[in-house]
Amino acid sequence: MSMYNYVVRRVGFMAVTLFFVTLIAFAVTNILPGDVALLILGPNATEQSLEALQTQLGLNRPLYVQYIDWVVGLLQGNMGESLRFGEPVAQLIAERLPRSMMLAVAATLIAVVLSVPLGVYAAVNQNEAPDVSASMFAFVGISMPIFLWGLVFILVFAVWLNLFPTGGYVSPSEDLVGSLTRLVLPAGAMGFALTAYIMRMTRSSMLEVLSEEYINLARAKGMSQRVIVLRHALKNAIIPVITVIAFQFSYAFGGVVVLEEVFFWPGIGRLTLTAIQSRDIPLIQGCILVVALIYMFSNFAADLLYAYFDPRIRYGGDD
Amino acid sequence: MATERETDRGRFTITQSQRDRIARFVRKFRSNTKAMLGFSIVVLLVLVAIFAPIIAPYPIDATNIEDRSQAPSVEHPFGTDDLGRDIFSRVVMGSRISLYVGFGAISGALAVGAVVGVVAGYAGGLTDEILMRVMDAAMAFPPVLLALTLLVVLGPELSNVVIALAFVYTPYIARVSRSAALAERNEAYVEAAVARGESDSRIVFSEVFPNCMAPMLVQGSLNVSFAILAEASLSFLGLGAQPPRPSWGLMINTGRGFMETAPWMLLFPALAIGIAVVGFNMLGDGLRDVLDPKVEAIE
Repeated sequence: MSMYNYVVRRVGFMAVTLFFVTLIAFAVTNILPGDVALLILGPNATEQSLEALQTQLGLNRPLYVQYIDWVVGLLQGNMGESLRFGEPVAQLIAERLPRSMMLAVAATLIAVVLSVPLGVYAAVNQNEAPDVSASMFAFVGISMPIFLWGLVFILVFAVWLNLFPTGGYVSPSEDLVGSLTRLVLPAGAMGFALTAYIMRMTRSSMLEVLSEEYINLARAKGMSQRVIVLRHALKNAIIPVITVIAFQFSYAFGGVVVLEEVFFWPGIGRLTLTAIQSRDIPLIQGCILVVALIYMFSNFAADLLYAYFDPRIRYGGDD
Repeated sequence: MATERETDRGRFTITQSQRDRIARFVRKFRSNTKAMLGFSIVVLLVLVAIFAPIIAPYPIDATNIEDRSQAPSVEHPFGTDDLGRDIFSRVVMGSRISLYVGFGAISGALAVGAVVGVVAGYAGGLTDEILMRVMDAAMAFPPVLLALTLLVVLGPELSNVVIALAFVYTPYIARVSRSAALAERNEAYVEAAVARGESDSRIVFSEVFPNCMAPMLVQGSLNVSFAILAEASLSFLGLGAQPPRPSWGLMINTGRGFMETAPWMLLFPALAIGIAVVGFNMLGDGLRDVLDPKVEAIE
């Protein structure tokens, strides 16, 4: 299968998936116990005012009509209005999404800077002390939930060492230094958790490349270990690693829901939690949909990268 | 390996070659450090959970205001919390919650996911397309977010956490089972069964299914660790287990407010989570090495 056909096929798949995603987001929030009208008006509302509001919000229409209405609205960029904030959902999300993006991007960067050299180092010293300790480090890294790393980082770097603030957010346009100091701990905690996967991948990919014939040839020609590792092996080993990094970005984005709560970071994760706690249905729907979309697209990008670098994937048409 | 496998596929009575295979599995498993270490941790955890009421020196809800927020000591090896409850007892009893959620959710996910996956892989065509697209849609949500959403509907309660997480991990099991079934579909023993005139459902459930177990087992044990982590996250956010249950995630949530004065409130439940997750991860990884099914870990 050519790359072009593969992309077309995958986009087709994604459209179908997208349809199911909207269906799930809609269904889940519409079988919520507790009537929306009742939630807005409170328990003391009269029967008449409840009915009036239900009619006004269109809640007494059949579910499929409500669903179609919602999807048509989405296509026009209208995600409804938040019950709690009284503002358009799209606007609330647009305000917070860049903050979450900033966190996820910074975390991924930190992870890459830490893990690639570590992975290369571990591979070069296979089964020796540095390799074993790096592998153990990686294992511990993935065994702790991200929010726990967050708490450990707060405890060590904010409470004990007093190096960074314990949480909060400042816009970079207002105060760049203040913004960055608040970014370090949450991004570091998440980056730390991501390091493990990327390091493992770098290590195994490097090991594979280092056992290739042309590396032996380079050695036989008397090239230095440094040149072989950095110039020849890494260049080829990095390909699968890039794919893993793309997958990790989506993982990071999925993790922000919990991490933002730990660091009082007002991104889309905390917005989702607020929405859930206040049963703000339009906002819950909007948040779920946007997070799922970003998660889906970054996974899609990772798949494309994978297929681009490894043509075998494209031939396995059934998968 | 391949030739020996061919001979005994799809039979239920234990033949000599199967006995050999099991013996070989046990031998390989025992010589795999990672698998054995993980297995030991898991067994230890299960024992702790079973005998928790005997091990725990104090009742989990025995508050004692005079003894509150005490550092670890001989009487309270893990210290006490803000209400004077013994943290060691609570961590020990908490193992029951983690294992209940971990095993419960993954058993559910295995029951549904395995059937969906094997049927999709064996049937192919439209059935496969539809089933797998639905699974894809569920996988398009970050796991914790999907579980959170489901808990909003179901209500924050431990048994609902099990249901929500079973739902979340079903597609991961289904994917692995599907690719296993896909590989089995073209094997000679399936063709033979078709030629014998066996029905599709019989071929799927009594012949293909048993041969897809290995990758499911690996994915399952890895997913138990994810489920334990997810339960901790959900309880931490206040949507999982509710107070006064001794859920590790919930204990961490409480401990967060006393980080400066009583860090042990956070430290020991966190350590417990780490050990449990490392155990199941090692077991899963080790099983993969031993069974060598052609699966990729879905992180």
